[in-house]
Amino acid sequence: MAKRITIDPITRIEGHLRIDVEVENNAVSNAWASCTMWRGIEKILRGRDPRDAWLFTQRFCGVCTTVHAMASVRAVEDGLKLEVPLNAQYVRNLILIAHALHDHIVHFYQLSALDWVDIMQIPKADPAATQKLAESISPWTRNSRNEFKAAQDRVNAVAASGQLGIFMNGYWGHPAMRLSPDVNLLAFTHYIQALEYQRKALQVVGILGSKTPHIQNLTVGGVANAIDLDSASALNMDRLEMIRGLLDEVVQFIHQVYFVDVCAVAAMYPEWFKIGSGVRNYLAVPDLPLDSAGTSYDLPGGYIRDGNIAGTHPFKTASDKVFRDSISEDVAHAYYQGGGTLHPWSGETEPQFTGWDGEQKYSWVKAPRFNGQPMQVGPLAQVLVGFAQGHPLTVKYATQAISNVQAVGGIRVTPDMLHSTLGRHAARAIRASMLAELAQKHLQLLTDNIAKGDYTVHNQPVFPSHEVEGVGTHEAPRGTLSHWIVIKDEKIKNYQAVVPSTWNASPRDASGAHGPYEASLLHTPLARPEEPLEVLRTVHSFDPCMACACHAFDPSGKQIAKAKVL
Amino acid sequence: MKKVLIGGIGNVLLGDDGVGPYTAQLLASRYEFEDGVEVLDLGTPALDLIDQISGKDVVILIDSVAIDATPGKVLLYRKDEIMQHRPAVRMDPHSPALVDTLLSAELFGVAPASLLLVGISAECYEASCSLSGSVKAALDQAVVEILRELDRNRVAYRTREPATALGAWWATDEKMESPLLAQ
Repeated sequence: MAKRITIDPITRIEGHLRIDVEVENNAVSNAWASCTMWRGIEKILRGRDPRDAWLFTQRFCGVCTTVHAMASVRAVEDGLKLEVPLNAQYVRNLILIAHALHDHIVHFYQLSALDWVDIMQIPKADPAATQKLAESISPWTRNSRNEFKAAQDRVNAVAASGQLGIFMNGYWGHPAMRLSPDVNLLAFTHYIQALEYQRKALQVVGILGSKTPHIQNLTVGGVANAIDLDSASALNMDRLEMIRGLLDEVVQFIHQVYFVDVCAVAAMYPEWFKIGSGVRNYLAVPDLPLDSAGTSYDLPGGYIRDGNIAGTHPFKTASDKVFRDSISEDVAHAYYQGGGTLHPWSGETEPQFTGWDGEQKYSWVKAPRFNGQPMQVGPLAQVLVGFAQGHPLTVKYATQAISNVQAVGGIRVTPDMLHSTLGRHAARAIRASMLAELAQKHLQLLTDNIAKGDYTVHNQPVFPSHEVEGVGTHEAPRGTLSHWIVIKDEKIKNYQAVVPSTWNASPRDASGAHGPYEASLLHTPLARPEEPLEVLRTVHSFDPCMACACHAFDPSGKQIAKAKVL
Repeated sequence: MKKVLIGGIGNVLLGDDGVGPYTAQLLASRYEFEDGVEVLDLGTPALDLIDQISGKDVVILIDSVAIDATPGKVLLYRKDEIMQHRPAVRMDPHSPALVDTLLSAELFGVAPASLLLVGISAECYEASCSLSGSVKAALDQAVVEILRELDRNRVAYRTREPATALGAWWATDEKMESPLLAQ
């Protein structure tokens, strides 16, 4: 008899990811991913000026403000066939990269490392031995005995107080936790240091975007950053140098700490290269444009079917015709009216809530499909699509990751093993390392272009009298983001956002095909079903983000996500 | 000089959830503050909130609260009380996380000495840029509570003469104005 487990962070304002799994013989036999809140924010946009859309869309999500702003201006520019000056492309690229670096650091350390790191083992660690271990795998200068000792003292103080605070809900001592005390201490020390470096990345976004969390420097047709080398208030050489300094520190942290830690942790949990695969269709769009018209990019895109990496289909541009024409959204199992599939330009968002029913409708998330197939998006898709095309930067860091894992764990790693829970973590570290290198490149491109005397940052948009459609994409930290706009008479006629977590958290479609979260959980072994750490590991590996829209504080204290065994 | 943050939290596109940012803007339009005081629209941060509150002496956050109380009630929560809540099991790692933020800041040793959450019970969270009548009626009291907290902490402020114009986020529904004016 299957046991049903529901993991649902219950709050009164329901807007969270909920996972239901059925467990038979200590392994997941069926799974459902659902989102518990309807937003329908896109409706607010209808009738508004397309030039303002980005100001609204960056309020979709409090964590990913920047990415929704960027996809929105790109959607309008695509509709108007409006080119973007080089300086504006570089400034935008730098903002996107800095945001992604911040996001990836936070994801690994603050949001998912504790799925693998057992805090309660740290008091048993030896800081001197930890230093020796750390020095054997990285040149990071802050791998000192003093920093390890200070981190250990913090944990000892928390443990001694009896108030576990932020660690209250961890599955400490769980049989699936397997790192040695010294490795636990190493990772935890970097968890503390990560806070400083994610902040430095965010400072870059703030300098270029004027403000965080809501940047102010975008405009349809470019950016609003005045470039003037003689003005203290404009983008000048001092500011560019400040950005360079911040980026150098962040890049070093990514290459010497984050990348190394992910490889080390992966080497010690090799069985997780065999768990969590699921949907092996992958989708990523090209990003970081290198010219005004958006014909060449620093990051490649394409799609993969059924794990056939050799058969990857590349996309030429970020709004490739194949991409535009292949996407639909299915509401067979989502709480919306109708049962068919619609292209986002003709998408509808008419709610019809019927309660959770795993056989019928069970989620507020629509099921996006590419040629009718569910697709996995995110760093793994980005890396596989790039690797298949021989993209040099992808190959460089993927190869390095494989050799790091082999060196630390003494196990043979093949690219095929990336279709897994650990593969998603490794791919994110690979992608972050690539982006770190590209951050420095794009800063140099911007500096060089300004030095040539080009101060142009904006092209004036011109709206035609007839109806136009546009798609704006961004290969965001969580994967392919696309905003779809229909413009008529200088007003927004329709607007739909297909966000990365919609692809990954997709419910089943009319054919019954699972979405990526659901498929990835099937067959996962659970050591203790009432403490489903393994389910969290796989779901976290996707870096879900779906509940950011509504933020009411719940004073009842019900912010407890309890694994309910039904 | 004290470092003070007055931050409005909430989504301006989801009806009464925008009351935090709205109140922050209202306060900034009516009052001037001593150096070191920041009044910010923080949107809907998750753990990013750690960066905003870290190293501050006094933090005052304004947020809608989901509670079975009459809409438009102003409720105060202090740091110790908030920290007694359990942090969420991070199913969706980006979920709103005031409790997690405070507990993490405490672990990192950067938590503010004093934190007050000024909560306003909400009526409606449906997608729109307007506040409901009950919540609008509570704004003046929310402002009074913020000023009282500044008094308690001996932070100086004075009435702005004349008050500056309030941004247009909340006029946008009726007039379809550009929110650029509100930036």
